[in-house]
Formats: sequence, structure tokens, C-alpha cells
Amino acid sequence: MEESLKSICYDALVIGAGIAGGEAALNLANTGYKVLLVDKELSVGGKMIMLSKVFPTLDCAACITTPKVSEISRHPNITIFTGSEVSNIRKLSDNEFAAKVTKKPRYVHVEDCTACQLCEKACPTSVRDQYQFGLIGRKAAFIPFSICSPKAAAIDIDNCTLCGACERACPTHCIDFTMETETIELHVKTIIVATGFNLFDPNNMPRYGYGKFKNVITAMQMEREIAPTRPYHTILRPGDGKVPDRIAYVLCVGSRDASVGNPICSQICCMYSIKQAQLLMGALPMADVTIYYINIRSFGKGFEEFYQQAKGMGVNFVKGKIGRISEKENGNLILRYEDINKGKLQEAEHDMVILSTGVLPNKGIDGLFENETLYLDEFSFVGQSDKLASPAKTSIGGVFVAGAATGPMDIPDSILSAGAASSEAISYIIQHA
Amino acid sequence: MKKKKIGVYICHCGGNISDYVDVEKVRQAVEGEDIVFLAKTTMFACSDANQREMVNDIEANGLTSVVVASCSPKLHLLTFRNVSQRANLNKYTYVHANIREQASWAHSDNKIGATEKAIHLVKAAIAKANYAEALESNKVKAQKSVAIIGAGVAGMKAAISLSNKDCEVILIEKEPFVGGRVAQWNSLSTTTETGKEIVKRLYDDLITRDNITICTNSEVISNKGSVGNFTLKIKTTPRYIRQSFHPEDLTRAIEVCPVSVPDEFNFRLTQRKAIYKNYPGEYPQTPVIDIKNCTRCGACEKVCPAVDFNEKEEITEITVGSVLMATGFDPYTPGYGEFGYATSENVITLPQFKRLIDEQSGTLVYKGKVIKNIAYIYCVGSRQTKGDNTYCSRNCCTSTIHAAVTAKSKFPDINNFHFNRGLRTYGKQEILYADSLRSGDIYLQSYEDGLPTVTIEGNKTIVKINDILTNGKEIEVEADLVVLVTGMVPRADNKVGTLFKLPKGRDKFYNEIHMKLRPVETVIDGVTIAGACQGPKNIAESVNSALSAATKSYSIISKGELESEPLVAIIDQDKCTWCGACEKACPFDAILKVEDKGKIVAEINNSVCKGCGMCAPVCEPDAINVTACSSTEIMSMIDTLV
Ligand SMILES: Cc1cc2nc3c(=O)[nH]c(=O)nc-3n(C[C@H](O)[C@H](O)[C@H](O)COP(=O)(O)OP(=O)(O)OC[C@H]3O[C@@H](n4cnc5c(N)ncnc54)[C@H](O)[C@@H]3O)c2cc1C
Ligand SMILES: Cc1cc2nc3c(=O)[nH]c(=O)nc-3n(C[C@H](O)[C@H](O)[C@H](O)COP(=O)(O)OP(=O)(O)OC[C@H]3O[C@@H](n4cnc5c(N)ncnc54)[C@H](O)[C@@H]3O)c2cc1C
Ligand code: SF4
Ligand code: SF4
Repeated sequence: MEESLKSICYDALVIGAGIAGGEAALNLANTGYKVLLVDKELSVGGKMIMLSKVFPTLDCAACITTPKVSEISRHPNITIFTGSEVSNIRKLSDNEFAAKVTKKPRYVHVEDCTACQLCEKACPTSVRDQYQFGLIGRKAAFIPFSICSPKAAAIDIDNCTLCGACERACPTHCIDFTMETETIELHVKTIIVATGFNLFDPNNMPRYGYGKFKNVITAMQMEREIAPTRPYHTILRPGDGKVPDRIAYVLCVGSRDASVGNPICSQICCMYSIKQAQLLMGALPMADVTIYYINIRSFGKGFEEFYQQAKGMGVNFVKGKIGRISEKENGNLILRYEDINKGKLQEAEHDMVILSTGVLPNKGIDGLFENETLYLDEFSFVGQSDKLASPAKTSIGGVFVAGAATGPMDIPDSILSAGAASSEAISYIIQHA
Repeated sequence: MKKKKIGVYICHCGGNISDYVDVEKVRQAVEGEDIVFLAKTTMFACSDANQREMVNDIEANGLTSVVVASCSPKLHLLTFRNVSQRANLNKYTYVHANIREQASWAHSDNKIGATEKAIHLVKAAIAKANYAEALESNKVKAQKSVAIIGAGVAGMKAAISLSNKDCEVILIEKEPFVGGRVAQWNSLSTTTETGKEIVKRLYDDLITRDNITICTNSEVISNKGSVGNFTLKIKTTPRYIRQSFHPEDLTRAIEVCPVSVPDEFNFRLTQRKAIYKNYPGEYPQTPVIDIKNCTRCGACEKVCPAVDFNEKEEITEITVGSVLMATGFDPYTPGYGEFGYATSENVITLPQFKRLIDEQSGTLVYKGKVIKNIAYIYCVGSRQTKGDNTYCSRNCCTSTIHAAVTAKSKFPDINNFHFNRGLRTYGKQEILYADSLRSGDIYLQSYEDGLPTVTIEGNKTIVKINDILTNGKEIEVEADLVVLVTGMVPRADNKVGTLFKLPKGRDKFYNEIHMKLRPVETVIDGVTIAGACQGPKNIAESVNSALSAATKSYSIISKGELESEPLVAIIDQDKCTWCGACEKACPFDAILKVEDKGKIVAEINNSVCKGCGMCAPVCEPDAINVTACSSTEIMSMIDTLV
């Protein structure tokens, strides 16, 4: 494919447009700096925009994320590239970095798309929807999700059969299969890495049967089931569409577990599980919800009270690590575990199991840098060169880190970390002017 | 009055509203109103796509005013005012109706009633929009300077960050020395640097900067004004020692001082003199005379010419654009007899234990006794089921394990027993817990209903627990030393918080505007909060919040000019009879008593008035109106509601 080469300049580059990257970009922009915000996904918003409600306030995540997203996308000082990646970052001097930005074709002209969804209706190809974490399907011509930004269709070219049905259906003629990958040469004064985290893949833990037993799902999938923009419009177990009434949470899946190579605690999964349990009790008043845990880590502001509130609502907390899960013919699941309080092995039957999977580093971020080394810590998160006194500093002067890219973190901590990164970046620009 | 053309948008809020309120029915109910030009429903009114649509609607149809019926105005009043502004409408013509908190969530058991109420609320908003006037916001000049209160790590880091942004900083510390709690810690978790080294590093940086003024031994005693222009009075107590001094003379002076008082720096484990310095490398380097405890015997003066009892207390007045609060925390003080505190010789708190292991080497000795078995009792003063402190203090689990591991490597003969309530070494701190298990520490656990007990038998201290990790077995440890893992509580002295009217949360720490998204801003415009005064935090978390607060304070004042809300009270001075009722009702001291045309009347100080409306209803002759909430607007709303 022929590549067009353009060159652009900004004050700051922010890599990753989750809540951390978004907040950092806004702080810079509100102080008058020009920011390029790049995300590899088709929408900004990161994981937060996909959540249901947030602990411990139970604010609706969409309601508090969309206005931020809208502020970011409208800000005169912020330019957003979605579906784009940064590479070949070179430090040229103390106040100049060069990088390559690759903008993958969306095959839709975003400005002209009205998100009418006619292309979706016309498209004959169905695949699993990554934005609903595989719970349902979507078309190859699709709008990523209802509150995505930019709100425009995209063509999933890997799955597209090039039948042309969408092109014919589109009333504004914004679908364009001739779009090509654009490569842009970028110059900036400072960089914030806000590339977030990955979730542990429970397929790596066969004894819990994820992928094999249909009624074992992950907490992220449950987030989608209880979100206001939820795919089924109600809560049901994927195996047979039954509304569950004995739900189990398995905590520390892929965390605090040296056998899967992740000895650290993920810091958010106790709390998001307690949150989901409360929401489930509200949505399904007759359901029993049991949380199997090692320790409950409700350490932040208002968290312990939130945990006590869940107990008060009748969520059942059982101290014990799940050994294995097996499936019954009716799709119900048998959990074998050691009940710590009773000191013996027990079995319990549930009709739906949610795995609270842990936080893993988004590996390979160091590979984006060419002539300087971005050090990672012993767990492969972006390393902090002055952990206590300047947590946003990395091994490269002028490159700062925000949010879960440095380690597990909830939303308020991500916001604070983004505040620190943007503060350091602003100081860096002023000091190296 | 020209006839209004109003656009009404009714939000589903995903399902938060439309699950209980029939939004289409609401739309139909208002669509026909004479002044309503268009009425639409939308999935998320605040989404970018809908905001664009609203701008288009306003511009294409020449709407004069917009009403959005959605969630609380606390969340989105500003969002939609800005939409109006982007479409070249005066933003104060926008009117908000809250049909989520007030209709759908409040009446989720009654869909018909919720819908009915939503219709009324939207109609009332439309009635208000009919009278809404275009207002111009006031412009205020903002000082490009920030006062930081408290020079712990949070305050010091915020100062450096603001100084880097060419912003003038006044750093005010009530103690004679900077560093806060961190200066009291030697070894720290997750680093090889000591607390004192971190403080030194920050201080060395601070003093090289021309745009930072450090005031130690100083307190803010009054505050006037508001965002952009806070006028503060600072009281500085003298050190009674001149800056140029001979170190040997001062060492002598400290030696000869006859006074001995409990040393707060060592959490009262030891005594200190009235003329003192907490540790040799402390900053500023000049010692201080604690005048409250000094007997004026003059012994120090005789051996050290730098002592000067003639130094006077100073009051300085400063005006700053923003105030950053970083006053930190107090360690919890256990009650008399709480787990043997104060009733047993062998019971101390975690901060005391940290000081103890820092001060000693070789063998660990407390009150003359060699220590072998140490029992740590967790969550003392935190996660209370009876007291007020229901919260978890976040970093004491990690700090305790760290102290235990440090003690064990320094004094290999000791045994550590951790009586905990479920360990909270979150994130990467988990590694420390694993280290401690590996070094042979023993962990015993209970729930809140089976807390360990401390009993004193002769000179023995016995800690007992029904350990849930071993099937509830009763286990007892004869402890040579019991360490109470005391949590963090807000500073006992909150005079400065009161000066700024800073609200506190359930946990009595300073409260932020929004726990998730705006953790360093407060409802008092221009005042930000950083570090442990907002809630328990470790150093890295305190620094993150300090830098965030610095960024917010800076972005408020960096432009040198602020827009202030034109929502203020207006006094009809012809009607006013000066009875003084409004002056008493105003929580912001915005009402002035002035003479106008030979008559004593009330006047509003616009830069201080928040438009809260407290004064309007108490005014007997009805001389007060509040802009955007005029009597006409309010009455028209009431008419539609009843
Ligand atoms: C199931 C679940 C429930 C949760 N519930 C809550 C809750 O209730 N309350 C709470 O406080 N927290 C909750 N969290 C935690 C919350 O999701 C995180 O704190 C937050 O998402 C961290 O934000 P971030 O911006 O650092 O990372 P992310 O959200 O991961 O965002 C990172 C962004 O960077 C982009 N990116 C990554 N690599 C690149 C690259 N190379 N180039 C360009 N872009 C890139 C990604 O596409 C993404 O958009 C929950 C998490 C999970 C998994
Ligand atoms: C036992 C213990 C061990 C710890 N160990 C660690 C550790 O190993 N690692 C780690 O990361 N963290 C540790 N911490 C946490 C650490 O101490 C805090 O994160 C840190 O002190 C918070 O800093 P701060 O600046 O917010 O508050 P502080 O340190 O409390 O500083 C606040 C400053 O404000 C001043 N002040 C208060 N009121 C006023 C007023 N009215 N006017 C002017 N000045 C005022 C105070 O004098 C003080 O100097 C530990 C805490 C405890 C209790
Ligand atoms: S936060 Fe809770 S569930 Fe997650 S790893 Fe830590 S202890 Fe386990
Ligand atoms: S951090 Fe640990 S010791 Fe401190 S209150 Fe929380 S659970 Fe208790």
C-alpha cells in the first residue's frame, strides 16, 4: 500500500485515551498546550466507558465518562487519532521527540457518518463483538458501541467480504474502501504514556472451565450485562438464557498467584466484585450472591463502608480459594473449595460463576521507543524512576506515565496519577522551553 | 417580550431514567406548549453526538432557550450551559430539570407517578426558561500565586511543581520544621531511601527557588476574599534564635536547658528540651525555642549569643489566587485501656514502634526489657464497628509488615505475630507480605466480631485470639511488646479548615467535589486539597494528589483572569430599610452596610456573593432578588407545579 507522509507538531503526545490519558490531555489542554491524543481502539474512553456503575459511589459509568469524553473531543487544544498507533519514538533533544503515528483506515469518513446504522443492517457478516466482550455478535460494518466517540461506523476489514452492501445502503456515501493507512511524522516536546492494562485471560486456568462451561463468564462480561446500555437488556446466563439465581464470584483469578506468573494483587477486583454483587442484588432481588475470597481489599475512601453495605444487603462472603469448577448437565456449576473458617473442603452449586480476573501489564510499551530505553518494572509495568517522590517520572526525561500503565489502579487513583503526569509534563515544557 | 422558542431534550440516561419514566410520554406532554418549538428524547443527552445535535438545532431554528431533562444539575448544568454558549446563545438562558434523582430514582416503585412528576418538573423548567434572562459573567483579576498550607511531602511537592510553572508560592508550615510525618520515618516501604532523605532532597530543591517563600512556625489566622483573590493573614511565631549561629554554642545551649518535656517527634517515647531540634539534619537548620514550655531561665542565652528573646511575633498579609490545603493527618490515639494502651507497660503504637526500631541497634530493648515476641494488633482505630472510624486506613497493613520485616532484619532474634483482620497489601505491596511470610512471621486472623484481647498478668502481656485461619482455634501469645497498628485520623486541630469553610466527609477528612472524577477540588472555588488531609494515603499517592492539586490550582489562575458567575443577589435600595436580617443570614459575609442618599441600606459585595439566596426570604420588605431566580421565574415555576 502506498503511504502518504505528513509531518505535524504538538506540545504533548498522550498515548492511550482511557480515563488516565483523557484526564492528562485535558489538564494540558486547559493550561493552553496543544495535545495529540492517540488510541489504538476505534473509540476513546478505555475500559471505563465500558463499565456499568462505579464503586463506591455507584455513579453510572457512562454518565460520568461521556461528558469527559465529550469535553476531550471538543477541546480546541486536543486532536484525537483513534484506530492509530505510535511507534519509533526518538528523543532528538531535551525538548523534542519525534515519532511515527500510523492511522489505520476506518473505511468510513467520520465527518460524514450520521451513525444511522443502515450499514449495520445491510451487512451480511456477523462476528463476535469485542466491545461486548464476546457476549453477542456484531456486523463487519458496525458502530463500535452506543456511546463510542467518535460516534461513527467502521468496517472490520479482516472479516469483511467486500460485498458492497453497506456502501449501497449508506445514505451519506461516507463508506470508502479506497482509504489507506496513513503514516504521519510527529514532533512533540513531551510524552505521556497512558496505555492502561490488560485483563488476565482465564483460558490460562483450565480448572475453572472458562471457555468450556458457558455459564462461567468474566467480571468484564458481567459489567456489560449490568450496564445501562447492556446487550441483553436483562441479566441472564449465556448457556441457556435462564435468569440466574445462585451466582458465585471467584476472586483473585490470575492474581496473587505465582503459578500463573502474577504474584501481585490487582487492587480493583475485590471492589468491582462487591459492586457487581450489589447491583445484582438490586436487579435480581431473589438471587443469592456469594463471593469467594482470600482477603477483601476495600482500602480506599468509602470502600470499607461499601463492603459492609454489601454484607448488610445479604451478599454472602466466603473465605476460601476455589480449587476447581465442574459442570452439571443442566449447566449448573459445582465449585470445590477449601472453606477456611470451617477448615475443610466443601462443594457448592451455583448456576452462574463470574471470574474476577486480575490486572496484567500491557506489555511491549518499551518497544515503542527507539533511541532511549523505557525501563519496565519487575512485573513489566512501565517503571517509575522515582517511585515515591515523583511517581510519574520514567527512565526517559520528558516521558511520563499515567494510570494503570504503572500498575493496578482504580479510577480515582488513575485520575490522581494523570494529574501528576500532566503536572510534570507542563513543568517539563516550561523548564525546557 | 419577544415570544420564546424553546428546545426541550428528555434523556433516557441509558435506562437510568427510561426504565421508570416514560420519556416519550413526557415528550408528548410538553411538545404542544406554545413556547416549545421542539421536543426530543435522547439516549444520552450528554453524549458528544447529542451535544452536536443540540448545537445544530439551536442554530438552525434560532431557539432562544434550551431545557434538558436529565440527571442532577451537579453533574451536567455546566455541560449544557456550554452547549448553549457554543451555539451562540447566552448560557444563562439554559434551564435544567432533574428527572433522574428526583423522578426515576426516587420513585422506582411507581412508574406512573414517576412519569407524572417528571412531566411537572419539565413543565416548571419550561416556565422558568420563558423568563430566563441573558446575563453576563463578571470578570475578576486573579493573582498568579498560590498559598500552600502544610509542608509535608504533599505540600513540598506541590510547591516545587507550581514553582516550575513560574507561579509564586507561599508555603506555610505551622511546625518549626518542614517534612511532616515523613521526616519521622527512617526506612520506608518499596524504596531504599529513608523518609529523612526524601525530605532533605525536597527541601534542598525548595530553597534554590526564588519564587517560593517558606514560612515555618506559621499559621493562617484569617481569610477574606474568594477565588482569584484570597487575602490571608499569617501569624509567625519567632524561633528566638538568630539565623547566624555557632553550631557548638547551640549544642551547649541545648545541653544546659533545664526543661524536659515529652518529645512529640518521637511520639512521646522520649523527652526533649525547650530549645531543640528533632534530628541533626532537620530543616530549616536553625533550632527553635519552644516558648510555651520555656521558663525564661536564661541558661541558653548565657552560652549562646544567637539566642534572642526579643524577637517578636509577626503578622503578614498576603493575597493569593488559590489555596492548596496539605495539612496531613494525625495517627489515631487509642483510648485508655484499648488493647492495654496506657494500662500496660508493654503496649505501644505503630508510629512509636517505628521510632523505637530506628533509634536502636544490636538488641531491641523497651523499658529496659529485651524484646523477643512482638504482637501486632491491626486496625486499631480503623474499621470500627462501634466507634466513628468505619473506614480502613489504607496503608497501615503495609507499614506494619514493612516495620516488622525491618525489625526482624535488624534484630534477628525477634518473633513477629500479626493479629490481623484480613491483610490489605494491595497491588505490588503484596510482595512485601510474601517476604514476611518467608521470613517466618506468623499471621493470625479474626473478623470484627472476634477481635483479639490483651490481658495483663503480672508483668506478662498475653494476646489471645480465636484464629479463623486454623478453624477458630484459641491461640495465645505472650508478648514482650504489643504494637497497636493505629490508623490515620484527620488532624485534631481544624481551625484552618474552618477558616475556609471546607466541608468534611463521613470520615471527617476534607471532602472532594466528586470522589471518582474530581478528587482534589472542593466546593469552595479556588481551594484544592492534597495528600493525607483528603484521606489516608502513602507517599506516592500523596504526591500524585499533590501534583494533581497543583495542576488544578494552576489552571484556575494561570490566565490571570477569572470568570465569576453573575448569579448574585440584588438589593432594591429604595425598598431596603436596613433591618440587618440579610447580613445575619448570609453565610459568605457578602452583605455590607452602606449609606445611600442619606439612608442606611444593604449592599452586595458581588465578588463574594455566591447567589445562594439565603438572604432573599428573610427580607421583610422583599427588597432582595437573586439573578436567574427572580420572583417572576420562581412564581411561574410554582404555578405550573401546583
Ligand atoms: C471489570 C472491571 C470493573 C471495574 N470497575 C471499576 C469501578 O467500579 N470503579 C473504579 O474506580 N475502577 C473500576 N475498574 C478499574 C478501571 O477500569 C481502571 O482504573 C481504569 O480503566 C484505568 O484507566 P487507564 O486509562 O489507566 O487504562 P485503560 O482503561 O486500560 O485505558 C488505556 C487506553 O490505552 C489504549 N492503548 C493501549 N495500548 C495502546 C497503544 N500501544 N497505543 C495506543 N493506545 C493504546 C487502550 O486502547 C485504552 O483505550 C474496573 C475494572 C474492571 C476490569
Ligand atoms: C506509621 C506510619 C508509617 C508509614 N510508613 C510509610 C511508608 O513506609 N511508605 C509510605 O509511602 N508512606 C508511609 N506512611 C504514610 C506517610 O506518612 C503519608 O503518606 C505522608 O505523611 C502524607 O503526607 P502529607 O504531606 O499529606 O501529610 P503530613 O506528613 O501529615 O504533613 C502535613 C504537614 O502539614 C502541617 N500542618 C498541619 N496543619 C497545619 C496548619 N493548620 N497550618 C500549617 N501547617 C499545618 C503539619 O505540621 C505537617 O508538616 C506511613 C504512615 C504511618 C502513620
Ligand atoms: S483486589 Fe482482591 S480479588 Fe483482586 S487480586 Fe487483590 S485480593 Fe484478589
Ligand atoms: S490498612 Fe490494614 S491495618 Fe490499616 S485499617 Fe486497613 S485493614 Fe486495618
